[in-house]
Amino acid sequence: MPGGATTAAADPIILEAIGKRYETASGAVQAVDSVSLTVRAEEFVTLLGPSGCGKSTVLGMIAGLVRPDAGRVLVAGVPCVGPNPEQVALVFQDGGLFPWRTALDNVTFGLELRGVPAAKRREIGLGLLEPMGLRGFERKYPRELSGGMRQRVAIARALALDTPILLMDEPFGALDEQTRLLMGEWLVGIRRRARKAVVFVTHSLHEAIALSDRIVVMTARPGRIKDVVDVTLPFPRDLNAPEVTDLRAKLWEQVREESLKAMGTRP
Amino acid sequence: MKILAWRLGILVAILAVWEAVAAPLNPLFYIRPSVLPGALLGMWRVPDLPPLGEHVWLTLQEIAGAYVLAVAAGLWLGFLLGLRRTVGRIYEPLLAALYAVPSVVWYPSLMLFFGLGSASKIAFGVALGFFPIVLSVLAGIRQVPATLVTVAQSMGARPFTVFRKVMLPAMASTMVGGLRAGLALSVVGVLVGEILGSRAGIGYVINYAYGLMMTREYAVLAVIAAAAVLAIDTAGALVEARVKRWAG
Amino acid sequence: MGRLGVLACQAASLAAVVLAWHVAVRTGLADPLFVPAPAAVATALWTTAREALPRLGDTLLKTLAGYALAVGLGVAGGLVLGSRRLVHAVAMPYVVAAYGVPKILVLPWIALTLGLGTSTAVLTGTLFAVFPILLMVAAGVRDVDPTLVTAAVSMGATRGQVSRKVLLPAVLPSVLAGMRVGIVFAMLGVLLAEMFAGTRGMGFLMQRMAMAFKASELFAATLIVSILSIVVVLSLEHLNQRLSRWR
Repeated sequence: MPGGATTAAADPIILEAIGKRYETASGAVQAVDSVSLTVRAEEFVTLLGPSGCGKSTVLGMIAGLVRPDAGRVLVAGVPCVGPNPEQVALVFQDGGLFPWRTALDNVTFGLELRGVPAAKRREIGLGLLEPMGLRGFERKYPRELSGGMRQRVAIARALALDTPILLMDEPFGALDEQTRLLMGEWLVGIRRRARKAVVFVTHSLHEAIALSDRIVVMTARPGRIKDVVDVTLPFPRDLNAPEVTDLRAKLWEQVREESLKAMGTRP
Repeated sequence: MKILAWRLGILVAILAVWEAVAAPLNPLFYIRPSVLPGALLGMWRVPDLPPLGEHVWLTLQEIAGAYVLAVAAGLWLGFLLGLRRTVGRIYEPLLAALYAVPSVVWYPSLMLFFGLGSASKIAFGVALGFFPIVLSVLAGIRQVPATLVTVAQSMGARPFTVFRKVMLPAMASTMVGGLRAGLALSVVGVLVGEILGSRAGIGYVINYAYGLMMTREYAVLAVIAAAAVLAIDTAGALVEARVKRWAG
Repeated sequence: MGRLGVLACQAASLAAVVLAWHVAVRTGLADPLFVPAPAAVATALWTTAREALPRLGDTLLKTLAGYALAVGLGVAGGLVLGSRRLVHAVAMPYVVAAYGVPKILVLPWIALTLGLGTSTAVLTGTLFAVFPILLMVAAGVRDVDPTLVTAAVSMGATRGQVSRKVLLPAVLPSVLAGMRVGIVFAMLGVLLAEMFAGTRGMGFLMQRMAMAFKASELFAATLIVSILSIVVVLSLEHLNQRLSRWR
């Protein structure tokens, strides 16, 4: 799998006190408030927090799909003004696969947009689907694939553009428990080979601990950074090891507090 | 608010353009909207035209008759096909095939059989109106969540009670949509029947005016008929919204 | 009951209806002036077919012409209506109102200005078919999953690429559905125009048969037109199934 190259000079992502406010029917809502973060090259950072805490909004701002109302987003040292397909690739919660395209055509969509010739596209696409365990499924339509397979196709599609940054918005959220666990394990294997800066959004402690170099705990709305935890354990992580159990307990304390707040403030 | 302003603006613009385009053209064929109110008042006095009130009343009666029969037939057939699975499997495809036929082909046969009087108009209204009702009953039955029925049965409810207290309310929103569409189609059926061949009713008067090239009168009648149909449908829409709000 | 059983029951029911009909006419229950015997209808099929075929062809041509126009206008209009928020909010009540007004009310005026011929029939066909197509395409555009557009944009798609590679395929099922519905309406409009103000075509023929009390011929003609439309609609359905493998 081709490795991503980043300039040593600039960190891939720098968030400088970004904020976002939405106008809703019932008044203004501050979704994100004053979030500052730096993501280094090939680092796996997880945004952890209850639903509605603005984690997806932060991701949207990094992707250039959402304009911050306050602060700045710097991608590869350059202020972000819009979608950045050279630098950033996204994976959505429900895949966002085009239902009328086969798995292979979905994976090569970005390449198609760039005008890469068909034979080359096919080669790259199959090369990405193979390690995903999807060889033989390249001509199936999303409807014919299981949830886990669809998400793998979505991830392959994001990897096809070979960007230095990968953003994943609760990619396993729509899957059942068993599939989630398996996908988590599989992603651990993939991440070391992919060598990208990854920002991963989840509300699952388990996924956060299994995958991340750093975990950013976010508060309930308005979303601010509550805590940043470095996880230096070697991969693959044994989730029954004492250090992990301690870490999980500590994270749960914080997340629980915010989850309760989120439940209370919801109408 | 801005939207409302745009809508009014468009209405005014359409009327203005219509007026401007029609003004220099032959008034026999092209009616200017400004002419219509005057024509309406004049209509009561035109000796050639039959008395309007009676015709309107007749049409309304035909519509009512057609709709009542359409509802009765539609509900009966819908529940028969929907509740008795085997019967449904046999006859529903036949019904779907019938739906593929442009309804107006039935009309000459109905006219031949029932004559030019009200009966053929009512029959045609029924033929058009009962389809959406049957289809909505079938769709309604299908989308009743099986879990609701199971819950009721597990609490000891008998089949008729399950039908009355669980299925009917669950079907209400879908069915009322079909009932509303059925009303609209019954109206259309009666009108079409009258225009194509009759001796009385609003459609007949429209045809009469058209035949004598009394274009202004025809235009007024068409506008009135259109407004009346829209009013009936709006009433139907209000009832539908009410029922949907209650049924959830 | 298996598929064969269902088909057998359907055939049996139809046969039973024909039998009952035959008995009703034979025993005098139904006046043969109004209700022709099945045998008479069968014979009439041959004679009517010869007279009806050219007229049927005429009706079909007008239907296709009206349909083509309606598809062009309906798809284009639906795309605009569905994709622009302001246009949709402003224009929708008018479109729905126009759809709700029985189009037959306009037919006398069309006949008055365009005469008793082909253009009246074609225009009426267009008028009847354009609204359902318009509404279905507009709904289809509004139903496109926004995540798909976001995904494409995030991968660097230009506006043109988004339209061609995302919106168009996403909207296609609704366009096809509208087109399937449209053909029946187009035929309806054409037949109606022919019955009201036509000198050729199937509609006019049927109307004339009714006035002349030619019951068996009329039944036969009705049967012919019905079977034709059923065949057309069923083939379109089949085509649609073939094309929708991915759904």
